[in-house]
Amino acid sequence: MKSKLTNGEETLATLLAEIPRQVERLSEVREELLANAVLLGEIPSPTFGEENRIRFVIDRFRENELVDPTIDDCGNASALLPGTEGENTILLMAHADNVFDHETNHAMCVGSDRITGPGIADNAIGLSSILTLPTLLDSLGIKLKDDLLLLANVKSLGRGNLQGAHHFLETTQRPFRAGICVEGATQGRLSYSGLGALRGEISLRIPGDYDWNRFGASGAIAHLSRLVGRIMEIPIPREPKTSVVFGGLRCGSTYNTVPKRGSLRFEITSEADTVVTDLENQVRDLSEEFPLESGTEVKLEIVARRPNCSIPFGHPLVKTTRAIMDSLDITPKVDPSTGDLNAIIQAGHPGVTLGLTTAENLRDENESILLDPLFKGLAQLISLLRSIDEGLCDA
Amino acid sequence: MKTETKSWLERNTFHHNDFWDLRKLVEEKESKGLTISLCIPTLNEEKTIGKEVLILRSELMERYGLVDEFAVIDSGSNDRTREVAAAYGADVYLAADILPEMGNKRGKGENLWKAIYQLKGDVICYVDADISNIHPRFVYGLVAPLIGCDDVKYVKAFYDRPLNYSSGLRPSGGGRVTEILIRPLFSLFYPELTNVIQPLSGEYAARREVLERIPFPIGYGVETAHLLDLYQEYGIEAFAQTDLDRRVHRNQTTNALGKMSFGILQTFLNRLKSHGRIDQLPDMDTIYRQFEVEGSNYRQLTHQVVEEERPPMIEVEAYLARRKVSK
Repeated sequence: MKSKLTNGEETLATLLAEIPRQVERLSEVREELLANAVLLGEIPSPTFGEENRIRFVIDRFRENELVDPTIDDCGNASALLPGTEGENTILLMAHADNVFDHETNHAMCVGSDRITGPGIADNAIGLSSILTLPTLLDSLGIKLKDDLLLLANVKSLGRGNLQGAHHFLETTQRPFRAGICVEGATQGRLSYSGLGALRGEISLRIPGDYDWNRFGASGAIAHLSRLVGRIMEIPIPREPKTSVVFGGLRCGSTYNTVPKRGSLRFEITSEADTVVTDLENQVRDLSEEFPLESGTEVKLEIVARRPNCSIPFGHPLVKTTRAIMDSLDITPKVDPSTGDLNAIIQAGHPGVTLGLTTAENLRDENESILLDPLFKGLAQLISLLRSIDEGLCDA
Repeated sequence: MKTETKSWLERNTFHHNDFWDLRKLVEEKESKGLTISLCIPTLNEEKTIGKEVLILRSELMERYGLVDEFAVIDSGSNDRTREVAAAYGADVYLAADILPEMGNKRGKGENLWKAIYQLKGDVICYVDADISNIHPRFVYGLVAPLIGCDDVKYVKAFYDRPLNYSSGLRPSGGGRVTEILIRPLFSLFYPELTNVIQPLSGEYAARREVLERIPFPIGYGVETAHLLDLYQEYGIEAFAQTDLDRRVHRNQTTNALGKMSFGILQTFLNRLKSHGRIDQLPDMDTIYRQFEVEGSNYRQLTHQVVEEERPPMIEVEAYLARRKVSK
């Protein structure tokens, strides 16, 4: 015997039934979305250097006649798409920075099935979806009851340490019914927790009075290698899940000159904040011990830190997102976020991070997004917005 | 004479920022009942055509109704140029299929000429397909002077060439062929046309009423021929030019530029002949004209270049005496 559907389940079923038509319609009106992605992608926007991209965003907000387009003190751009009732506000955000510097050639190449160029997936297409959303909703004939606050946040990646998102959430006076972070990659991504993380940079320098005749004397590369080896000897617990990633090593410039300085970038992530703190202390101890035994100068700088935070797996926002993905044949990949979602959840709002499409060569200069899956990704986002708007995601 | 050309430079030289208000531009276009067709001539441009069609169509047809028709006219590419252009919504034509009774010649000028037959607009804007930093300004910067000024019939693009100078003052001009061939020729024979900063730029817009009345070389000489023919018919006042900032495109080899110069020179000499100048050469001008730019101000620099000559030494009496020889 078929069980009776609740009102919420009926509403969700109605929304899900509209998805196939939406996917088709979205692919028909793709030009503006893709054009915005290319135009955004061609504006260099390294962390702390996002001004030009933000200017483009704010111009688009104005052209689309959104309410109160604003650039705040931190450099974030935001604007409001008013709902028909406006009793609640939904936050939709995408980070505007990327990992490529101003000197990188940001020319995008548009093929019939993909777009290729630095930062197109992370996060030009994500940001474009936010800019284009008012037009997409309009072309689907959708009017939300809730206000929709669109945010292009800056200073998110690396040393940015989510500054833009934190600043916006701390200074804005609005309570948010829910927040969604949009990333270009990867479709199926479902983050509803923020992973505790610490990012640090160890700088090593050979002092001018270094004794090159002493036992074990060597250049910065050899010393940094030893330091990496020592860090790798620190036991990493399997539970709670923890990892240490060495993300960058900068040292030396040629074949035959011994380098005198170098730096190592690393990230510690763990499901337990105490483990992050414990590992940080051990790395700090090593950074203090190593110079004494090697005669080098070592400095540890912590550039980013964020605590664990989460909403429950059973939260209606997460359950609804999974139901939407399921109806689109998207397999959810639960992946704790180290990005802007932390700021949303830490500020006390329920939130998730979604990915829009399939990407290749992520964070390389030939980064690509595939266009065909993109429309499913957008339908997923729009259906989630409508579900929040209908009150299906309230705890 | 000098004052007049200077004044044309001031009055008819624009910057694309002058036309940033696209809503206003579209209103003016509509109030004048003008229609605008955009044509991109192509041959094996699959790497850049997708972006050009996507950006220009989305911004200038979907977002703002500035362009009424968007066509790619292809010379028979053997890569995916036509497929990619069609995927982003351009009307794609094979040049050979247009006016087939006139035959099919291979060259960019053929596509530009056939566009006049195929497209419907009162104004046709031509944009090359190899621009990797394509932006809507490449179109609105060119059609805007035609919308705003009824006397202007033909608008050329010029660009900030990506050269760095330590001072704020820098020379401005065209590429190698412009500076080495065209500008010296214009300085000699058509000094007023030296006010056109980049006479060979591949982006321009013109009214149908003038395009339909001029012949089109199908090869390298098409831009030069346009300038000379329209200048002969209407004078400098028919022209305007717009600074479109930076244009990034493929660099050509010196060999390719030599071939290009050869084609242009043929066109130029043909025009000298048809304008009746080949048999009645005027006294050649000795002023060479270049440009410099400071901020947004363009100034013509003039240099007196007099190529004086010495006679053969054998005709000099002192030489003959010294060498003890006779003529």
